[in-house]
Parts: sequence; C-alpha cells; structure tokens
Amino acid sequence: MVDLLWQTRAFIYSHFADTTHPPSVDVTAAHFDISTEEASEYYKELHNRHAFFLEPNTLTIRMANPFSGIPTDFKVHANGKTYFANCAWDMLGIPAALHCDAVIDAVCTESDETILLEIKNGELTQSPITNHQLLVHFPLPFARWYDDLVFT
Amino acid sequence: MLLFQSEELIDKWCKRNNLKRGEILTIQQVWDLSKLWYHNRLSVDFHGRSVEQVAEVFKQAGLKSKFWYV
Repeated sequence: MVDLLWQTRAFIYSHFADTTHPPSVDVTAAHFDISTEEASEYYKELHNRHAFFLEPNTLTIRMANPFSGIPTDFKVHANGKTYFANCAWDMLGIPAALHCDAVIDAVCTESDETILLEIKNGELTQSPITNHQLLVHFPLPFARWYDDLVFT
Repeated sequence: MLLFQSEELIDKWCKRNNLKRGEILTIQQVWDLSKLWYHNRLSVDFHGRSVEQVAEVFKQAGLKSKFWYV
C-alpha cells in the first residue's frame, strides 16, 4: 500500500506537469487499475501528509505545490503549456520543478500591474517594461504555513 | 505569498488587511529558494521533507532569521 500511495503522488504530479491540471480520483483509479474507493483513500492520506491539498470536504486537488488546480494571478508559460501557480513563490517553483525555461506573467498586489519574468537557462530576468524591484511578501513564519495554506 | 513593486505597497496592503509585515525577499532570492525547494518535486522518490531537511534548505538559501525557524 505504501508503494502505491507514493506512486499515486508521483502520478498526480506527472499529470499536472503533462496537462496543467490535476487528475480526478476516477482517472487515478483507472491509471492504477484500482477501485475509486482505494484511490480516494490515497488522496485523503496524501492530503493528511501535506503531499498535496484537497478542497475542503472534496476529493478535488486544489494545490500540489507549486501547481494550482484553479486559475490564479500567477501564470507560467512553459513547454508549450500555461500553468497556474499558487502564489508568487510557486510561479518560480514551476520552472524549478520542471527544469525548463519559462515566461511568467503575474499581477502585482496593490499596483495591479502585470509584470513579465523570464527563466532562461536557469537565470531569472525581469521584463524591461518595469523598473521596479519586485518583492515577495511572506506573511507568516514557516512554523505557521500550514495553519491556513490558502492564506499563506 | 504575494508579489509587490515596493515595500511601501507591502505596508499599505498589510495595514489595509490588519496584518503585521512578514518577511520580504527579492524576486532573485525567491528564485534561488525555488530551485532548492522544488528541484526534486516531480521525483518518484520525493516523499516530503524532514524538519532538518527544511532547515538545511533555508540555510542554503541564506534565510537565517527567526522567521524561518522550523
């Protein structure tokens, strides 16, 4: 069971990377040729272990960091696809996880400006259309990140 | 974690949301942290991190303040 639990996690991440969205429990069950009930138990267990995060009281994956299961203000264009990241950190986490070049467009809080970033050959460059020094605000210390992950 | 164009805008957002200012990193610092944090996320062998491993990532990223204590 333990092996299949972690294989389920790996499948979900692979599915995100390939398609930009998470697999449903039914898709995962079919992939491993197991029952939906068994796949559901793996989803719940992996959620409890913080391997990814489900929408409350559902089996829908909201976050498998750095990937977001829902649209956000942080878009990452990579490998011919557009991914949504959970936050300003995760928008950089996607090219880091995929080990690829990427163009990121993201909305800055308060100013509402859209900025462009590029990751190329492992280096970060900022679009010349803005002279601002971009900053990321971490509102909570690490010890409290999992209190409310959506807020974090 | 949200993206801002100045510390003044961060303070404005914190005040409006009645929150204390947290930790602020430059976008380059976050890229460096991302590479350390996420480089092996798609590996079949990644099963999460121990407290010690998290502390080591923060140390390698140069994040040493109390904010990053695990």
